[in-house]
Amino acid sequence: MGRLFVLHLEGKIYSCKHCRTHLALSEDIVSKSFHSRHGKAYLFSKVVNVSMGEKEDRQMMTGMHTVVDIFCVGCGSIVGWKYESAHEKSQKYKEGKSVLERFKLSGPDGSNYWVNSHDSHIGGSDADDV
Amino acid sequence: MGGVEDEEPALKRLKLSSIGLVALSNVSSLKEPVGGSSSGFMARPLSSPEGDKQVIGSRGLIKREEFVRIISKALYSLGYRKSGEHLEEESGIPLHTSAVNLLMQQILDGNWDESVASLHKIGLEDESIVRSASFLILEQKYFELLDGEKVMEALKTLRTEIAPLCTNSSRIHELTSCVVSPSPRRNTVRVGSRSKLLEELQKLLPPTIMIPEKRLEHLVEQALISQRESCPFHNSLDKEISLYSDHHCGKDQIPSRTSQILEAHDDEVWFVQFSHNGKYLASASNDRSAIIWEVDVNGGLSVKHRLSGHQRPVSSVSWSPNDQELLTCGVEESIRRWDVSTGKCLQIYERTGAGLVSCAWFPTGKYILSGISDKSICMWELDGKEVESWKGQKTLKISDLEITGDGEEIISICKDNAVLLLNRETKDERFIEEYQTITSFSSSKDNRFLLVNLLNQEIHLWNIEGDPKLVGKYKGHSRTRFIVRSCFGGLKQGFIASGSEDSQVYIWHRSSEKLIEVLSGHSGAVNCVSWNPANPHMLASASDDRTIRIWGLNCMKVMHQNAHTNGIHYCNGGNLDEAKLIFN
Repeated sequence: MGRLFVLHLEGKIYSCKHCRTHLALSEDIVSKSFHSRHGKAYLFSKVVNVSMGEKEDRQMMTGMHTVVDIFCVGCGSIVGWKYESAHEKSQKYKEGKSVLERFKLSGPDGSNYWVNSHDSHIGGSDADDV
Repeated sequence: MGGVEDEEPALKRLKLSSIGLVALSNVSSLKEPVGGSSSGFMARPLSSPEGDKQVIGSRGLIKREEFVRIISKALYSLGYRKSGEHLEEESGIPLHTSAVNLLMQQILDGNWDESVASLHKIGLEDESIVRSASFLILEQKYFELLDGEKVMEALKTLRTEIAPLCTNSSRIHELTSCVVSPSPRRNTVRVGSRSKLLEELQKLLPPTIMIPEKRLEHLVEQALISQRESCPFHNSLDKEISLYSDHHCGKDQIPSRTSQILEAHDDEVWFVQFSHNGKYLASASNDRSAIIWEVDVNGGLSVKHRLSGHQRPVSSVSWSPNDQELLTCGVEESIRRWDVSTGKCLQIYERTGAGLVSCAWFPTGKYILSGISDKSICMWELDGKEVESWKGQKTLKISDLEITGDGEEIISICKDNAVLLLNRETKDERFIEEYQTITSFSSSKDNRFLLVNLLNQEIHLWNIEGDPKLVGKYKGHSRTRFIVRSCFGGLKQGFIASGSEDSQVYIWHRSSEKLIEVLSGHSGAVNCVSWNPANPHMLASASDDRTIRIWGLNCMKVMHQNAHTNGIHYCNGGNLDEAKLIFN
């Protein structure tokens, strides 16, 4: 494994729960009202230190979106997804933004969220709900 | 030309033109000849198969008259006077009109007033050129009068002939001062200065009237340069370019075959760099060591020194300007300075409470620079005394650091998408701003260009003279997690090479941006590449597979001595102890 390229953030930082790699800043949260199959998720305008998977179309609660899964560069674990394009006009604001699943993150205060069976959506695909 | 009457016999005219041409020294000019009227020429071609054609060549781009005149000019310039005269006579296309020949002869004879009058008869339409040319001629007249100690006549020329032209008032003041102080006067050897005047006039007059000196050579050079620059594999010396055929290099000019595998590191190799003289290679590894490799006369590399002492992985190295010392930088740790000949550590540079993240030599070799984890940049004397510090957002925890060859500008990544060019003296800051996160950069040998590696798997080439300009983009390699480095290399740094996370080395033709070669062989991510500055056919790559591969030309067979069998084996990627290069 070569020398990791990792950016160091300053401020209120959300980092990877497993390896503590910085992922996003609290000030870049666009919405906390998103959901994934594992529970809460946050929409960020900017995330760092992630690599991207292949583009794919996914049907979500708010319509069809083209997304890529995003992975922590430090440990390789999947941490959320990024919206490449939204097919519906009302969802265009999401394009270029990323969703991080809250249970994969360590919060600015060091807090961790765990998978909550009551919160989690039943179904095979990620969903967003604004 | 320009409707000038021509009633002189051809041979007399030709003799004049050749005298004038021989008198002219070689002055190269980049002006393009433009098509002009040939009404002033006496066209008396002898029987010629091309006789009636106005244009020649398969594309119909070359005007026959221009072509013949340029050849005549070249013949005279090369000293083939008889051939030049013969070509003028046989083609019926004179090099110059009789009016131009007369002007040239008058200048060589020092008939100044007549030559000024002749200027108006050679077909010049631009009055400002006539004035400027008159100024040059009368200036020569003035100097020669002064040289002949005819001061009153010289002053009269200045007042009544030169001053009314109103072309260059500051020059008139200079000329006036020559009367008082004779030092700025021209050379008193008049023939020499008159031919110099003809050279100056030649630069001033339109190329249709007087063809620029060495015009044919210039056109041929342009064609050769164009062929060379459009050849994606050109990586050999220019003497191999011939006029006899169009230039094409094959892929065999690009180092694309593993000639040696270096296996002395115990962990991933993160960085490699050849010394300026190409005699050494330094490598840095996750195993917390650096190694200096020596390049032998046959191109084989062997360990010269293993440099141990860092407590953390070694992220980069930097060769001193004279290649006698080496800096190694531990990840957010310290910098060590080593003696290349002995392998001894000469100095450790560190900062309490902060880690050092990058290193570079000042061009004089008397100072070193370092990026610090607190985002500042620091300059030290060799003995470890801190001499200067630039605080604030000047660098990042992961950043490269370079300084231009004149010692004027420090180059560093100052924020995730910007490179800072900081003037050391004035503290002025210039920026290269990218739309993507920058992972690393490297500069060209002449410090005019910067190669910037981006998070989105692109490499951008920036011209950093004046306002930075994006001049090239290179794509194809892969980078998702690691710092992957690229470099300039090959003949005249005509290529771009890069590592890649897919275990391959990528090579692009610099000017066309075409991907021309992908080198396979490593079994882990290729983190860094370095092209030997003294050998365009040698490239090194450092990989996560713990090896460094040396790449050479395909025509080289690489062998190594096998201790067990005393036999010679061709290298197919095995461990090489002694390398011997055999050329087919």
